[in-house]
Amino acid sequence: MSPRFRRHADLRLTELAGEGIVLHLGSRRYFSVSGTGLAILEALIEPRSMDELVEMLTARYEVDAARARASAGEFLERCRAAGVVLDEPAA
Amino acid sequence: MAGIAVRCPRVEVARWVGTWAGGLALEPPVTLTLDITVGAPPADLDDRPPWHQPDLELRAGPPHGDVRVRWLRQPALGVIGAGATTARVLLSEGALAEPDLCARSFLTAVVVLLLRRAGWHHVHAATAVDPGGRAWLIAGDTGAGKSTTAALLAQRGWRVGGDDLSFLTSSGDGVHAVAARAPIRLRPGGLRLLGRAADPAADGKPGFFPEELGGAWVQRIRPDLIALPILGDGPTTAVPLPPRDVLSELVRWSAWVALEPDLAQSHLDLLARLAGQASGYRLMLGTDLFRPGDRLMELVP
Repeated sequence: MSPRFRRHADLRLTELAGEGIVLHLGSRRYFSVSGTGLAILEALIEPRSMDELVEMLTARYEVDAARARASAGEFLERCRAAGVVLDEPAA
Repeated sequence: MAGIAVRCPRVEVARWVGTWAGGLALEPPVTLTLDITVGAPPADLDDRPPWHQPDLELRAGPPHGDVRVRWLRQPALGVIGAGATTARVLLSEGALAEPDLCARSFLTAVVVLLLRRAGWHHVHAATAVDPGGRAWLIAGDTGAGKSTTAALLAQRGWRVGGDDLSFLTSSGDGVHAVAARAPIRLRPGGLRLLGRAADPAADGKPGFFPEELGGAWVQRIRPDLIALPILGDGPTTAVPLPPRDVLSELVRWSAWVALEPDLAQSHLDLLARLAGQASGYRLMLGTDLFRPGDRLMELVP
């Protein structure tokens, strides 16, 4: 089974001028992300696999699957390193 | 008309708190209630991580869902359940012995938290309307120059709401800022810059209503401009800021945004709408602001 990810429960997201704004309630840290990053974080309110994220991105934006996968993978790595996105334990 | 109601079996306490709360002149869309009991608050067994403000300790979030405010100067406790519009408040005799401080610190915090339930979210900001009719929100920390600037603007005849206690609320035409009716409190340095002598008999920072300074009071504005002041050594400058930077600053000066998870989203959305609605400027405040002329109007024409 492929790994699944979810966003930290302490995150609150909003949109401003085409960018995503992310507030981490616990640390009061504040991030800005691209519109695509915001879409990924919005989707990760529930656990999602990389395949599901790629499907969401290709349906929403004019991007091929390979590019969506590379972009989402890079974004997820940065978010996981920042503690914003967590690995969902296998059921 | 909705407002802030006060209940207390001790008539003199109900009268005092009622007079103070009524004086704020706040009319939220639903009636909010301070249900006060005089007595010693119980020991705190709440193991949620505390969050501190000057003289205050707050605990909020899961698993209880309520928010608890404890005054650290004298025994006093406020508890507001999730979604509740009534705050249960315990005031000790020690707290009652310091009514002014109790109101300005502890009770103000309880009211700020209650108002969040009515969709009014606090921001540390002064509000004003310039002679051209543009509405300004001047947001920043204590010591950033909000109070002295608000007092100066009132002296120049601007309409001024207050110097710190403002509430953001969503309206049909955008985000509005509502000012509590409270005096603009000035430090000795601010008094000197404004050419006013300190009253030696006054306790703490003397306060002035805008009308006492030559201006007029305005309670509700729809901000067109957001000024983020800091004190500088040189001349006053105004540098435009992109909405993202404005939002970042608004989050900093909205201390309560992260306190209650259930309310954080609506608060953050409101700040983002405000940052998109108004033009933002970083204001570096210099003493030339106090020379004749209206430097702010020149810098932000």
